[in-house]
Formats: sequence, C-alpha cells, structure tokens
Amino acid sequence: MIQAAISGFVSGGAYATLGLSIVLVYRMMGVLNFAQAAIGAFGAYVAFVLFEGGMPYTLAVPLGIAAAAAIGALLGLVMSTWFSEAGAEVCSTVSVAALITLLAAGFRIFGDSPRSVPDFFSGASFMLFGVVITATGAVAIGGAVILAFAIGLLLRRTRIGILLRALSERPTTAELLGIRARRLTLIVWAFAGAVSALAILIIAPTRTSAFLGLSMLIVPALAAALIGLLRSLEAAVLGGLGMGMLEGVATSIPDLAPYRQVLPFLVIATMLLWTERAEVWDARR
Amino acid sequence: MRGASTRIYSWGANLPMFRVLAFGIAIGVTGAAFLLPSYWLFLATSAAIGVIVARSAGLVTGQAGMISLCQLSFAAAGAWVVAWLSLGEATMPFPIRILIGGLAAVPFGVLVGLPALRLRGVNLAIITLGFAAAADLYFQVQGFPKNSFTAAVVPPPPFDSDLVYFEFCWGMVVIISLLLGWADRARMGAAWLAVRHSERATAAMGMNVPLVKLTAFATSAFIAGLSGGLLAGQVGLVTPQNFAPLGSLVVFALAVMMGAQHVEGALLAGLLIALFPELLRKLGLPPDVADLLFAIGTIDVLRRGRGGVATQIREALRIRRAKRLAAPASGARIDEHRIAPALVHTGQHQHGSSPALDIRGLTVRFGEVIALDGVGLRLEHATVGALIGPNGAGKTTLVDAVTGFLHGYEGYILAAGVSLDQLPAHRRARAGVRRTFQQGRTIPDLNVGQYVRLAAGRTLGDSELSLLLDFFDCPASAQPIASLDVGTRRLVEVAGALAARPAVLLLDEPAAGLAETASIRLANRIAEIPHHYGCSVLLIEHDMGHVVAASSEVTVLDFGRVIANGPTRDVLEHPVVIAAYLGEEVSA
Repeated sequence: MIQAAISGFVSGGAYATLGLSIVLVYRMMGVLNFAQAAIGAFGAYVAFVLFEGGMPYTLAVPLGIAAAAAIGALLGLVMSTWFSEAGAEVCSTVSVAALITLLAAGFRIFGDSPRSVPDFFSGASFMLFGVVITATGAVAIGGAVILAFAIGLLLRRTRIGILLRALSERPTTAELLGIRARRLTLIVWAFAGAVSALAILIIAPTRTSAFLGLSMLIVPALAAALIGLLRSLEAAVLGGLGMGMLEGVATSIPDLAPYRQVLPFLVIATMLLWTERAEVWDARR
Repeated sequence: MRGASTRIYSWGANLPMFRVLAFGIAIGVTGAAFLLPSYWLFLATSAAIGVIVARSAGLVTGQAGMISLCQLSFAAAGAWVVAWLSLGEATMPFPIRILIGGLAAVPFGVLVGLPALRLRGVNLAIITLGFAAAADLYFQVQGFPKNSFTAAVVPPPPFDSDLVYFEFCWGMVVIISLLLGWADRARMGAAWLAVRHSERATAAMGMNVPLVKLTAFATSAFIAGLSGGLLAGQVGLVTPQNFAPLGSLVVFALAVMMGAQHVEGALLAGLLIALFPELLRKLGLPPDVADLLFAIGTIDVLRRGRGGVATQIREALRIRRAKRLAAPASGARIDEHRIAPALVHTGQHQHGSSPALDIRGLTVRFGEVIALDGVGLRLEHATVGALIGPNGAGKTTLVDAVTGFLHGYEGYILAAGVSLDQLPAHRRARAGVRRTFQQGRTIPDLNVGQYVRLAAGRTLGDSELSLLLDFFDCPASAQPIASLDVGTRRLVEVAGALAARPAVLLLDEPAAGLAETASIRLANRIAEIPHHYGCSVLLIEHDMGHVVAASSEVTVLDFGRVIANGPTRDVLEHPVVIAAYLGEEVSA
C-alpha cells in the first residue's frame, strides 16, 4: 500500500507543480487558465523534438522551457491587451479557446502518436525506510515543495513580490503608482508557463500519453489547485501530492485501476460543493 | 397601438424572422436533397447534427449563462443508448430509439445541473470539464456499447437511405427549433434568460431558480443526447473519440462565437462544424486547422464584447428597423381620465383585520454585526409606507429578509396574517410579496413588454399592459430594454412587479437615476398604487421630497433599530430623525 502510494510521487509532483502555476496565474492575474497544462506540454514537446533531432537533452530542455515561457507570455499579452477589464468567466472562455488553439497546433506540429521520451534519471532509485523511491519521484516532490516555498518567499519578502501583490489586488491603483503592470504581467505568465513545462517534462516519461493526453492533465492540476481554494500555494502542492498518491494506491487495486483518473473529478466536485455550499444566490443582487 | 410582437416572450427573437428561417430550411433541405451527391449529402447530414449539438450548448451557456464544457458527454450517452438498443435483432422503430437516447442523457444533465445550483462561472466550467474527462475515460474503458464487442448501428428501412436520413436529421433540427421557440413563449425560455442575469431577480419574479437551472441542463442534455443518437445512426460505428472532451470544448467555443442561443447562431455553428474542415481540405489545407481558426474566431468575438455573431446580426437588424420606423422614444403622456376608471382595483386581496405586512422582532446577524435588531413594522392595507434611514441602517437587509433572500433571521414576518417565514423566495413572490432591486435587475435581452409579461407571471392583455406602462411613463412595449437608461429600466421593473398584482410591493430606491421632475412624478404614481391596484407599498428612498409625496407613514431605521415611526410629516420633523440624518448626538 505504502509502496503503491509512493509510486504516485512522480504524478503527484507534476500535479502539484501544475497546480502551483494555475494558482499563481489565478491569484496574480485573475485568470483561471485551462490551457496551463497544454502550454507546458507544448514546451515539453519542443524539447522532445529537439532531442530527437540530435540536440543534447541538457540543451533541449532549457529551450523547451523557454518555448513554454514564450507561449505563456503570448497568452498573457492577449489577456492584458484585450481582456484586462473582462470578468473571470470571459477570461476563462478565452483560455479554453487558447487550449483548443494549442491542441490544434500541437496536433499539426507534433502529430498525435505518443513519443518515446527520455527519462533523465533513467530509472535510478533508492531505498528509504524499506520503500523504493525513484529518483524522478524524489525530484518531482522535492521540486514542487521547493518551488512553493520559493514563490511564497518571493511574494512575501521581495520587492517584486510586493509589486505583484499590489498589482493583483488593486490593478489600477498599482498602475497609477507607476508600477509597470504590463511587464510584470508578462513575467508571471512566462514563469507559470516555464514551470508547467517542467512539470510535464517530469511526468511525460511515466505516461504513454500523446500531446492531447498531457494537455488534459489540466483536470488533476485543477483539482490540486482547488484544494488550495485557488489561493494557497502550499495547499495546492499538498493537494497535488495527495492526488498523485491516491492515484498510485488506486493503480494497485485492479477494480479501481482503470478509473483512477476519475478520482481528480471526484475530488474537484467534493471540494467545490463543500466550499460553495452556502452560495445559494449569485453575486448579482 | 403597440406592435403585435409584444404577444410573445421570445426574447429578442421575432417570430417572422424565425418563420422565414424555418421555411428556408424546409425548402432548402427538400430541394437540395435531390441534387446533392452522396458525399455532400453526408456532410449536410453532419451539419444538421452539428446544429443540434450547437443549439444544446447555446441553450445552457448562451441562454441560461452556465458554462458547460461537457455537451458531447451528453451526446455520448445518447449514442451509447442508441447503439445498445440497436444490438442484435432490434425491432424498435428507429425514431423511438433516438428519442430514448435523448431521454437517457437527461439524468446526466440533471447530475451536472445539481452542482450548478451552487457553482457558477469558472467553478462550473471546472466541474463540467472534469465530468467530460471522467465520462470520456468511462467510455474508453467500457466501449460502445459493450466491452470488446462493437456492432455498427444500422438504421432500419427507410432510415437506411442516405436521403431519408438526411431529411430525418434536418426534420429534427426544425422540430427542436420549434419546441425551443415554444418554450421561449411559454415563459421557460425567458426564465432561462432571467437566471443568467440575476438569480435573485428571477426568484423575486416567483420562479423557482433551482428548477429553472435544472430544466435548462436537462433540456440541453436531452437535445445533445438526440444529436449523439443521430450521429450513431449516421456513421454506424461510434467510438469514444467522437465525443472526446476536445470536441466539447470546440462546441462550446463555437456556441459562444456564433451566439448559438439563437436559431440562426446554432445554424451557423453547425454548418461550420461540418463544412469548414471540408472547405479547408478543398483548399489544400489540413482540415484540423479548423479548430484553430474557430478558437481564434472565438477570441476575436470575445474581444469585441458584443456577443456572438447571431446576437450582433440581430442587434444590427434592430437598429436598422428602429431607424426606419423612427419609433417614438417614450410612451404616450398620461391621460388621467382614461386610466383611473380602467384600473380600479379588483379587490382580489382580502382586506381583513390583519395588516398587509406585519414584521415582529426581526433580528438579522452577519457574524458579529447585528444588521437588524428586533425591528417591528406594520404596513396597513392599501397604504404607502416609507422606510428611511442613513446608509447602512439595514433597509435593504429588511427587504431581503421579507422577500426570502436571507438564510436565517429571528422574528416573524406575516403578509395579510399569513406567516412567510418557512417559504423560499419564489414562494413568497407567488404569495403576493414582490420587490424591486436597488441595482435594477431588468433583463436587457427582452423588450419592455416581454419583461413586464414575464414578471407578471400571468396572462396580461395588451390593453392592461399599455395602461400599466403609461401609468409609470414607461417606453413603448416594443422598445428593447437594452436601449433604455438605468432610471427608465427601474420604472419598467416597478411596472413588472406591479403587473403581478401583488398584495405588498417593496420598492428599493425606485427613483435612483431619475431626474428630479421624473422622481416626483413617480412618487405621485406610487401614492396612487393602493387606490388603483389595491396593493400596499413599502418604499425605500433617500429623496425626502419623494418620500413626502409618495407615503403616508414613515418608519426610520438607524443602526438596525427603529428610531421613529408614524405619519410622514410628524416623523420627518422629529429631532431624533433629523439627528440621525445629520449625524448629531441627541439624548433621547
């Protein structure tokens, strides 16, 4: 059982990292980005293609991450140019359109067959307290936790973090104070894109999924983000890890295994209905 | 004197245009069928199925305002059932199978609709996407319709002919459009539209909001289920890939882009789904680029922020028509002698000994804050009482409590001696307690007459409607609410609430946004409401001139307590009241 849960570390770390980038964009930019996983998948695929073309993995990966950052920034540019005054629903609809765009473009550029993806840690593992932990799993978990702490510290302690918080809470006031809103916006979007690419790069070797499947990891990632109520970075990481471990356990139960990817949906439904249970009426009164 | 189109509820849709469309489809379909080569016949059949699924998305997303990213999952349920019913020696008539397929999707619509009672906007989008992913996985594991056993759906004669099947699908498009057109006129469609704009206002019109939302989802799922069944019959072998989440996303995007809550929007969307990839193929471009162009088109439509393509076309046509007719901007002037005898109240509300509205010991807490503290208020029959007090005194909270919008309060609220405390908001409205909203909650997609008829919740004759509109200086009934200013919209809202013939009417700052002369004119009208309509009014207003002109009694609230009440003149001159307004300390 424990070993089964541990086997979900890789997925858990990836969900946590994707969840982090969703929370970051939602908190800072007010956009729930349905295309977040697709942006990451796009970057990861760029890395894979470059690697297949003979480029060393250590060079292909940074280029892939840069590609994801660029796509993220592009979406951020669209959002800040045309939809800065729009409500959350319109912005999400735009992000759904962005998801369709990326899926169509990804299908055109990368095809729909699964790729053989290099595992950077080539299956290395170690024993801890009698259970086997793969190096990828350890890196995924450790990376997600470190990222959450780093982003948290950045937002609380640094000048850029304070500027970002000002921007997210009072956009107009912040702009009038001379904060360069556009530049900060693009930085956040690019950063979230880069982080998503990392998450997809780490989870891709454990999946047979093609571009579409990796992009649809948005569902467990949203579940992770919702555990933090789309606000808390730490809770999103814990949620992602929990979800990964739950999936790992489900894999070891034959009756449940084929449906393990339904679990995030159940988590989402329960979370949302519980937190919104008192919301009998909409906001318009 | 008003246009004949006021008879229908159909929001913004005008019947002639709809008829022309239906007629056009009928002619085009029958005529084209004999000319088309089978390849194009197949595509045209796909287009019909696309129209149906787009309409289902338009209903729940465009009309009822609830984001649904799982329309193809509903379609999959329909397809699965049709495939299952077609296993082996199927003897059931094919249209019945399709119908059962549609019905089979309804429980899933309700299942997704239930979370929608609490979840909105982005949250609902997450849930529906999650549902689409879960359903996709289920179908991939289970197969269509049975594990490791795929059987093609072969429609029995005469539906095995491409031509007949094509006619059948377009026939379904026409039937569904007619049925939804009928739903629009039967208040249901307008209710779906109302819930999109404000749930509170919908309930305040006496409509059961959860029921309205669930019927929207159930109807949408039914229509989507029909489309799935039709697809199964068309292509024979359906796979989970036909209904993958990506497809649902594309349907959603197209419904938004084209404005598929309108018939012609759904038509455009369906034609695009089926024909655009083929067009690209003819041009030597890869057909999957279609999705990309749809997505970019959607972003462009959202960027302009004027609604889907069909909505824009309707708006443009309306403006052109308005220019040509150069309709009078506002209603006819009041003719006192004409109105007064016509509106003598019907006496349908019993004038017993108990007051129209009786509030006792009403206490409302928001956490630590006591918003209302043991408030008592009596509103006698056929009188206008005013409720005044500084900002934050708890006036709107009181209206919310009386009309059923506050979850928990202490105390008793009785209307004509009947306790309201156990009733939900829409039941209170139906029991004759109506309200208007401070923010103004009319429905911009409707015209004035349609809105008032929706709010009335009963059959309202043309003459009664025009008298009512004249009484409040409202614009002509054919005037779209979207073209009115905020103050005038509020007048329409008041007219709508009164059209329901309530026993008690609570007006929350009805004169806000009106010029001073219009405000006083409204106050005089409000003062006449009890005489003409036999209805008691509780009026919240800041403008003291308005209060003096409209009301005979005044209750003053300050920090959640009643500090004075009595005849209007006396109360307004009371030192405690003046102090509350000017912020002085007075030892009481």
